[in-house]
Amino acid sequence: MRGLENEEFLFVGTPICRGIAIGRPFFFTLAENKALEVSIDPTNIEDEIVRYQCAVTKTREEIKSLHKYLKNERAFDAVAILDAHLQMMEDPLLTTSVETAIRSTGKNADYVFQEVIKEYQNKFNSIADPFFRERFKDIQEIAQRVTCHLRQNVRECLADTPHDSIVFATDLTTFDTAQANTRYVGAFVTRNGGATSHAAIVAKAKGIPYVSCIDLEHVMRLKSSIVIVDGRTGTIIFNPSPATLGKYQQLKSQLSTHFQKLKEVGQLEAETYDGYRIRLSANIETLVDLETLHQFGGNGVGLLRTESLFSPGDSFPSEKEQFNLYHQFVKKMQGLPIVIRTFDFGGDKKFQLQPLEETNPFLGCRAIRLMLKEKDIFKNQLRAILRASAHGDISIMFPMISTLSELLEAKAILKETQQELIAAGEKVADYIPVGCMIEVPSAAIIADLLAKECDFFSIGTNDLVQYALAVDRSNNALSDLYRPAHPSIIRLIKLVVSEANHQGIPVSICGEVAADPRFTPLLLGLGVHELSVAPRYLTAIKNAIRNTSVIEASKLVEKVLTLASSTEIEGLLNREYRLNVPDDCFYNC
Amino acid sequence: MKLVCKIRVKNDLGLHIRPATAIVKLLQNCNCDVTFTHKKEVINAKSILNILMLAAKQNSQITITADGEDAEQIINKLQNAFENRFGE
Repeated sequence: MRGLENEEFLFVGTPICRGIAIGRPFFFTLAENKALEVSIDPTNIEDEIVRYQCAVTKTREEIKSLHKYLKNERAFDAVAILDAHLQMMEDPLLTTSVETAIRSTGKNADYVFQEVIKEYQNKFNSIADPFFRERFKDIQEIAQRVTCHLRQNVRECLADTPHDSIVFATDLTTFDTAQANTRYVGAFVTRNGGATSHAAIVAKAKGIPYVSCIDLEHVMRLKSSIVIVDGRTGTIIFNPSPATLGKYQQLKSQLSTHFQKLKEVGQLEAETYDGYRIRLSANIETLVDLETLHQFGGNGVGLLRTESLFSPGDSFPSEKEQFNLYHQFVKKMQGLPIVIRTFDFGGDKKFQLQPLEETNPFLGCRAIRLMLKEKDIFKNQLRAILRASAHGDISIMFPMISTLSELLEAKAILKETQQELIAAGEKVADYIPVGCMIEVPSAAIIADLLAKECDFFSIGTNDLVQYALAVDRSNNALSDLYRPAHPSIIRLIKLVVSEANHQGIPVSICGEVAADPRFTPLLLGLGVHELSVAPRYLTAIKNAIRNTSVIEASKLVEKVLTLASSTEIEGLLNREYRLNVPDDCFYNC
Repeated sequence: MKLVCKIRVKNDLGLHIRPATAIVKLLQNCNCDVTFTHKKEVINAKSILNILMLAAKQNSQITITADGEDAEQIINKLQNAFENRFGE
């Protein structure tokens, strides 16, 4: 191992979030240093209790804000866990009992709390069932947060790492990632964790590069003051040579110039350089999203996910609550059109009205299937949307349509509801376009039949890819098979667009593919009329549109259709993007 | 008023974190003392940690005791919730 200190070392892991970082390694380990036992002067005991209460309150506030954040990011599993954490923070065993113990023992809060947690650890360890034993992890997680607040001098939170930290950890909790200060944390490197983990979702939203599957033991033995993380390729470089370092420094500054330039694109039209204009809309879940939409010059809302407006577990929203909310959205649109999708419960989005357990919820009673069974709830929502339609440009969209009869039944219920409202003297817009999601392969294949009954289509590629390829995208073991560039997907999109064109109705794409600028020319070439993306991707996609031409895009499609594998297609799309947008080193590498 | 009833856990995974959260949320604003008895262990049902430490698996039997003003209402609510597998 001679000369290890000065040699350049390269590791390749799994890229999770793109981006480039240069910084100093920061090994993030769970602090296990014991709290010292200190006797507290009886006159100060109440102050000590208040100190403990403050730590608990701070932890509670942290969990609440993270809860809100993750709800916006639609990480509902994580939200459910945080719900439980919040209840734990209200639990008398962690509140009043600890306070009583501080009073009765006369010891410092840190020590008392540590002993209480140890006691629970023993109790949980004695549980025979490993599933319940595992739950101690949750207590440990919140205990760490409380301890962190009690001992302000101990650096255990990622909120205050040194500047340019490259954080190395075995695992990262959602909380760790959410707490990381983007000004100080350059990148995350972990041994465990996949692209669909909650920590990864948060890192992506925050724009922090992230690489996983790196052997930490090996890495920790290297004494390196500088480390480079390339989240595009999953490469970690220790002790970079001056040449390597120079190359990455240049890349990094190129990247920040590129992001700066993207901001300026916001107010320009979403138009190819040969003058073809495309609708660029946003997928929206909160009212705050609408501000970003206006700021980046979005043409409207291509998808309002109504099921995310209400938290799972809450009681079901009344027509009035729903109307008020939809009305607010419409008002904030400032005249731009908004597509409201009816409730898409089921699959990974649970709600109270969810029927009995299903062995396979993704193939179960979800979305429109559930709404057609729960007609009252469905009509309630339609009434609220229809009433809001009098105040702006609203379209209605049904999710998960797989057969024509579902669409016809949903439309009949809509018509019935509309007539009832009008008879009752309510105001409803004269014309409300009605469309359906194309996210089930069967719907794509019978697009000609559905198009006759629709005013527009919206292709939900996330589900379409899952269903067409029979791959669960949250299954890390199958991540190699989840490929939106699969020839079958491209053929399905082509089929849908051409059938829609026959009937003269527009097609929008609202899946994650629409938010990847490397796919933009392909989608334009396939004849898609609208792209709808999370608001933070508006500028990158607009930039991609402005740097392509329709003629080139159609030529690209011809070439893509001759290719037989996802890998070849991805390669071609990457090369094309590098030609069109050479200075985007975020996607080009 | 003091009411007692017996109930069976229907959830596949037993009283795990989701049902436990649902129970304490349901009991948050009630005006009675609620205890669960499982395998001779008696716990305060308003404590999520206590519920988790019961480690009650699917099909295990729990005796619910509610003592206070709204005992009847609370027992009804709990029975419904157990019956609906806490929405799972």
